[in-house]
Amino acid sequence: MTDAATLFGLLAAALVGIGLYALIVDPQPLRKIVAFNVVGNGVFVLFGAIAHRGAGSGWGGDPVPQALLITGLVVAFSASALAIALLLRLHDVAGSATLATDAPAPVSPDGNAADA
Amino acid sequence: MTTTPGGLLLVLAVLVPFVGVLAAFALGGRNAQRVAMGTMLAGLGIAIAVAAAVARSGDALVYLLGGWGVPLGIALRADGLAVVMILAVAVVIVGIGAYARADFGTPPGVREARAPLVFWTLLLAIWGSLNLVFVSGDLFTLYVALELLTFAAVPLVSLDGRAETLRAALRYLLYALLGSILYLLGTVLLYGVYGTLDIALLAARVQPEPATLAAAALMTAGLLAKTALFPLHLWLPPAHAGAPPAASAVLSGLVIKGSWFLVVRLWFDVFPDVVTAPSAQLLAGLGAAAILVGNVVALRQARLKLMVAYSTVAQIGYLFLMFPLALDPASARLEGGGALAGGMMHAVSHATAKAAMFMAAGVIYAALGHDRIAGLAGIGRVLPVSVLAFTLGGVSLIGLPPSGGFLAKWLLLAAAVATGQWWWAAVMLVGGLLTAGYVFLVLARALASGAEAPALRAPIPRSQEAVALALALGSMLLGLVAFTGVHLLGIGR
Amino acid sequence: MSAHWSAWLLAATVGLPLAMLLACIWRRIRERMLPLLAVAPVPALAAALVAADAPPFVLGQGRVRLTLALDFPGSILLGVAALLWIVAGAYASTYMRGMPNRGRFAACWLMAAAGCLGAFVAADMVGLYLLLALLTLGACGMVMHEETPQAWRSSAVYLGLALAGEALLLLGMVMLAHATPGGSLLIRDASAVLPSLPQRDVILALLVVGLGLKAGLVPLHVWMPLAHAAAPAPASAVLSGAVVKVGLIALGRFLPFEAALPEWGLALTAAGLFAAFYGVAIGVTQAHPKAVLAYSTVSQMGLIVAVLGMGLSAKETDAPLAAAYYASHHVLVKGALFLAVGVYAATGARHAWPILVPVTVLALSLGGLPLTGGALAKYAVKGPLGEGLAGVLANVSAAGTTLLMLHFVHRLRRSAPGEPGATAPVGLLLPWALIAAACIAVPWGMYLSVPGGTVANPLAPKALWAALRPVLAGAAIAFALDRWGGGRLPRVPQGDIAVAIDAAVRVAPKWGGRLERADEVLRQWPAASLALLVLVIAFGAAMWAR
Repeated sequence: MTDAATLFGLLAAALVGIGLYALIVDPQPLRKIVAFNVVGNGVFVLFGAIAHRGAGSGWGGDPVPQALLITGLVVAFSASALAIALLLRLHDVAGSATLATDAPAPVSPDGNAADA
Repeated sequence: MTTTPGGLLLVLAVLVPFVGVLAAFALGGRNAQRVAMGTMLAGLGIAIAVAAAVARSGDALVYLLGGWGVPLGIALRADGLAVVMILAVAVVIVGIGAYARADFGTPPGVREARAPLVFWTLLLAIWGSLNLVFVSGDLFTLYVALELLTFAAVPLVSLDGRAETLRAALRYLLYALLGSILYLLGTVLLYGVYGTLDIALLAARVQPEPATLAAAALMTAGLLAKTALFPLHLWLPPAHAGAPPAASAVLSGLVIKGSWFLVVRLWFDVFPDVVTAPSAQLLAGLGAAAILVGNVVALRQARLKLMVAYSTVAQIGYLFLMFPLALDPASARLEGGGALAGGMMHAVSHATAKAAMFMAAGVIYAALGHDRIAGLAGIGRVLPVSVLAFTLGGVSLIGLPPSGGFLAKWLLLAAAVATGQWWWAAVMLVGGLLTAGYVFLVLARALASGAEAPALRAPIPRSQEAVALALALGSMLLGLVAFTGVHLLGIGR
Repeated sequence: MSAHWSAWLLAATVGLPLAMLLACIWRRIRERMLPLLAVAPVPALAAALVAADAPPFVLGQGRVRLTLALDFPGSILLGVAALLWIVAGAYASTYMRGMPNRGRFAACWLMAAAGCLGAFVAADMVGLYLLLALLTLGACGMVMHEETPQAWRSSAVYLGLALAGEALLLLGMVMLAHATPGGSLLIRDASAVLPSLPQRDVILALLVVGLGLKAGLVPLHVWMPLAHAAAPAPASAVLSGAVVKVGLIALGRFLPFEAALPEWGLALTAAGLFAAFYGVAIGVTQAHPKAVLAYSTVSQMGLIVAVLGMGLSAKETDAPLAAAYYASHHVLVKGALFLAVGVYAATGARHAWPILVPVTVLALSLGGLPLTGGALAKYAVKGPLGEGLAGVLANVSAAGTTLLMLHFVHRLRRSAPGEPGATAPVGLLLPWALIAAACIAVPWGMYLSVPGGTVANPLAPKALWAALRPVLAGAAIAFALDRWGGGRLPRVPQGDIAVAIDAAVRVAPKWGGRLERADEVLRQWPAASLALLVLVIAFGAAMWAR
């Protein structure tokens, strides 16, 4: 039992690490959303491992983390849905989807900003 | 812990706004605004009732959901801190609702418009989520509340549908999700070590073990990302400056305070023995950097709304200065007291003042068609009430008496003197001077009488200016609560 | 709340100007407020006459209470300051008639009046801070009234320095409030406990710098020539006359005169005497008569601070009273001289002499011309100053003051008069004549009303000659400078050290630009998310180290 919990714990750590790396490094927003889901899944696997480790005798797992885990899955799902909806809308409006910080609005000589 | 009489009010405080959300969405069209107005009045009444109940009983209100006791059940708990925040949020939301009636009314002849429906629905959702943040008694409910808050706040940023606001909203969402997943990771670790997530039970069981330290670090950093403390503030200026003025007021004044309140809750109630002096100094150091960089960059802005957004970045720094000042040198744990009172007073006073400043900036933008500071010459003659509201809000942020900002500064300075940390006192004083710089810059430009008065593009509803002025006056007079001798903050702690 | 009627007078001292200020919210009232300005300080004058050492006025319960009270030195200064505000208000209603933005000027005037008069009666620290802040805002509004580039610059320097001084003062007050037993916020209690505190020196430094900025102690005086020269004449009169005395009275109340603090006393005396000579030295290089008057204020404030310093080192509890008496004479004279500048500008060359003769007498009285109030004032401070080096230097500074004042009269004569044949309107002449008469009458009246004060003493030939000597010396130097010095004096810019502020303001945008670029770098996604992870590790490490 301990071996399974430890194995899944290490797996969770690996997932979180991979997800964080992609979240930081990859510039495309869709990949960031996928990376967020990978991190989230890592956290949920960790939760599952803890449930397994904390199970009472005769039970397969602690039920409380399982309940919390399901809630977390729903939250992550709606988060991804919202993010993808924003991404699609951004793509529709701007033609491309990038998170690059806006260049400062160009200021013409009479002081009017271009997006006034 | 058992349900106290009056505990049902806590459930109502969370439930009424969400019932409003469902009703507004279901009824749609013009009814969304009507439902929102009714809900706001009901919610304000509930907030006052909660405050009265807590003040009368002298103890925290508790409600056990389903009657199940902790740790299996979920407890809602409102102590003095929560009550102050619930009241402040209710007042500001009602003000923003009154302001937004003119901007987000459904146009005649149209059955349903997208922006007004979304705005009213999400305003109520933000309110409900904030109330849930304040009254939650366990860490996972807090996670759910935090996510609700983020999901409700993000679409408000991109309400006008332009590319750059959509980009700002997406950036906000992704960074906030990064923060909250780190928070969840910390929560998971805490459950793994202690087997419970209830705040009161955890407070009794927490020990400074490696897993707890990791959890505390993860949760704190994640919440700092959601609060946009320097250097994690990348999403705030474009998001708050690009949103419509009523939305900016909500985002800057209230949404930020939700995740900040969570840091306070964690550090003071769950981890008072775990946090150390170096970690508190680190937190305040980030706050000091926020004050310095935020104020200096605000001074250099050419647009009014960006200046106010960077002012928010700076004022968030003040909120975090209180942590090392609350650290009792004798017992080496965080004690509530003058520093906590100062931080709470600053949060409330900033919420009202910043809402007023964004409202005034919004009126100016609608009147002139732009918000370039260089083009504001003489606006004081055509929009005197808005300029006055902006100035009074700014004066409260500078910290001149009798504003709430002054009372907060006095309390924090007293705590700094008492604990001998004079360097944070210097930071606060320098921050006040820098804030005075950009407030008087705008005021001087507005009062300049050389150029002829600028023409108004559109008629400005007097109610909008009146609400802005009312909120600014509220912030200016908040310092007078010191005269009343009412002590709400210490109840139930 | 105290029900004693004198307490209500104290409340009205602040209350009436504040109520008139609130009425200024309505534009129609604001436009008509100008003639009513002279009414606002009347309760203050009444309070000064009857409410000295009376029971205080207290507002509020709980730990934080607003307390208004009046001690004897404060009542002297309040009385003359209220008189100056009344006279200057009447002057302003004629001077500003028909000028644009007079409603705004009236509102700023009322703010400054409320803050100034209130600060004289404030007995607790929070109330004092509130009134000082109000005073700063109102005075700044008056300085920038004419909206010339010079006025903008002067008000920016004034506001920046005033806020910096108030910040330091706030820190000092918080430290005092923290150490006062029972959590009392009264200045009296704080001053009593001050000498025994371990952080006494830090607190005293903060108080001296903060209040010295308000009083114009060198090198914190740089805002004064700029502000007082840029404001309209009635505003300059109250700024130089009454507003700077607020810093003095507060200093007199905070400094613990019952305990002997020789090092602090010496430092204050040295700084004050240095300022007395510095003001003269820079003042004679100035061309604008208002700037000359402003530097004279710097010099006189220095002398008064030196009196306080000598009292502090010698444990003389009478020093604040002597300083208040001296300061009260200066309030009246400086107010009259600033108003005279405006009167002269409206008078033609033919009618100039009836103006110039009293002006010269008043100016010389500042240097201690015998039989004037100035001689009485100098006689009064002889006691605290003593016979040593400080006393000698003070005598020499009287000569310097005479020199500076003759330079002022000279520059006033050279300044452009009004149209030939014109006389100043009655609305300007009458208030000015009133205050000019008060310059002689009030000091003599106060002197004569004090029991035990014999008239013989100041009129004894020995005393007369001692007072006349410095005046003659100063006149001789003035004559010599005029004859042979001529145009050889260096041109010092108005505000002397303020050019350092200008240099700092030029350098600041470069650093601001660097911070802005750093902020832009940090707002890139990779940098920000990396910073988040770094913070996680940093917090973990910080919590590990226990």
